[in-house]
Amino acid sequence: MNLKISALEYVQEVKTGNISAEDFVAKTIERIQSIDDKLHAFLSINDEAVDQARNIDKKIKSGEKVGDCFGMPISIKDNICIKDSKTTCASKMLENFIAPYDATVITKLKQQDAIFVGKVNMDEFAMGLTTEFSAYGPSKNPWNLEHVPGGSSGGSAVSVSAFECVASLGSDTGGSVRNPASFCSTVGYKPTYGLISRYGLISYANTIEQIGPLTRTVKDTAFMLNLISGIDSNDNTTVDNKNEDYLSGIESGIEGKKIGIIKEMIGDGIDPVVLSATKDAIAKLEGLGAICEEISIDMVKYSVAAYYTISATEAGSNLARYDNIRYGYDFPLEGYEFNSYISKARRNFGPEVTRRMIIGGFVPSAGHAGKYFLKALKVKSKLTREINDAFKKFDFLISPTVPILPFKLGEKIDDPISLFLVDINTITANLTGKPAISIPFSNSNGLPIGIQLMADSMNDKSLLQAAHALEQTVNLPEVPI
Amino acid sequence: MVTEEEIEHVSKLMRIDVDDHKEYVEKVNMMISYFDLLDSAGVNSEEITMPEISISNLRKDEYIPFDDKLIEKLNHYKGTYVRAPKMSS
Repeated sequence: MNLKISALEYVQEVKTGNISAEDFVAKTIERIQSIDDKLHAFLSINDEAVDQARNIDKKIKSGEKVGDCFGMPISIKDNICIKDSKTTCASKMLENFIAPYDATVITKLKQQDAIFVGKVNMDEFAMGLTTEFSAYGPSKNPWNLEHVPGGSSGGSAVSVSAFECVASLGSDTGGSVRNPASFCSTVGYKPTYGLISRYGLISYANTIEQIGPLTRTVKDTAFMLNLISGIDSNDNTTVDNKNEDYLSGIESGIEGKKIGIIKEMIGDGIDPVVLSATKDAIAKLEGLGAICEEISIDMVKYSVAAYYTISATEAGSNLARYDNIRYGYDFPLEGYEFNSYISKARRNFGPEVTRRMIIGGFVPSAGHAGKYFLKALKVKSKLTREINDAFKKFDFLISPTVPILPFKLGEKIDDPISLFLVDINTITANLTGKPAISIPFSNSNGLPIGIQLMADSMNDKSLLQAAHALEQTVNLPEVPI
Repeated sequence: MVTEEEIEHVSKLMRIDVDDHKEYVEKVNMMISYFDLLDSAGVNSEEITMPEISISNLRKDEYIPFDDKLIEKLNHYKGTYVRAPKMSS
């Protein structure tokens, strides 16, 4: 059984009867059981996955209508609710939380007969970019177990990269899908803000985050988008995409398209190997008929500071609900005074979440909001204007997804500022609401490098076409696990 | 420059105990200091733009019953009320 096939290949193979959903899912679970001790991508495994796959095989045999996924095994980041199963956000705070309803993306995938093989690891409450802030221990990069897999959707990227599932859903607030996709050599997609419903995604920073797929190929991402995008009455920020088919015309190519190379994203602090891969990608796109030119987006320099100010503020507000009365850790009421009870409950947050909550209380507070929060919102507005202006001239913007190679576990965990700067190329898409994709492009001494393409809002379809064109120029080694 | 006392005060308001000074106060101070960069962005005269959603695009303001009694899942639900710890005496 070849577990290394893409989502579209899987669907084709099951449809034509070459493989059964039950066999494939059973082998997938076996693989998780045999290698996940080393990788720690999964926080929980769905014990009923094989039975569910058997039922789908029965439906196929009896000629019943079967959903587009045909029992495809998918992993889900542990901040997306699946009814009656644990959703921990990789936090001690929610270690016993059983979700009472399905997220909209889960409802949609269930309707299409997807199978959720398990919930995957992440930085606690999606705050981080290495998975080292998971309360249950970090995931490891399958390309080199001593290195971080990126984050916060690290478990998603590892599980796709190491063939523990065919595709995964993560969430992206400042690069949390694209960063691990780049570090683990998978495709990672952050859609236009509002394209995918956030109903059932545990909130971190609502105004900038989106759920996004991680897959083996760009076509698989388009396939997943077809299944999970669209307007949702449970999320008023969703936009009507008129049931766009993202797969049709995906091979349209990029001849004549104009691509801007963001100067600030290939400047100070970039690893020379990453820079050289980026130049190589640009040359390949030019070879396909694209026109590439440099452009300066001045506000990128301030985007990291603006992002952390805004996201911490929203997190401070969103995480106020974890007070052990409405949500949170469980212990008896006796012997505590109201405030100290809540403070004790909130001690179950890990250090990074705690720090960001403190920041989230500080930067919008009276006397400080003008210097921090309001200024950050102004940077966001100006950055959006600069990016909108850039899209008047260019169809796409290009940069490396992350300016450095995957680093070692523990290397940056004590240096918050150097961790901040890892996000510098991905944050702009979140602050401006634009769609962006990370495409596996190169490999340096066994460590993956991803290239990021960004497009204007609601141009997700043409962005996937461009990404597919770039992907076709690449021939990458196989993951060594 | 932010003082450590200010950080400790906000932590208290956020109902967070900062028992580990280095992990919380010092690192938070380091992170907030980085945000000083915003001062050099030259955005003082910039307008803050907010996305707008017109009321007609919002779903109807009507009650949609949920089939599960979520309140019963609260650990300290007592049938007609939720018990909370006593307020300070």
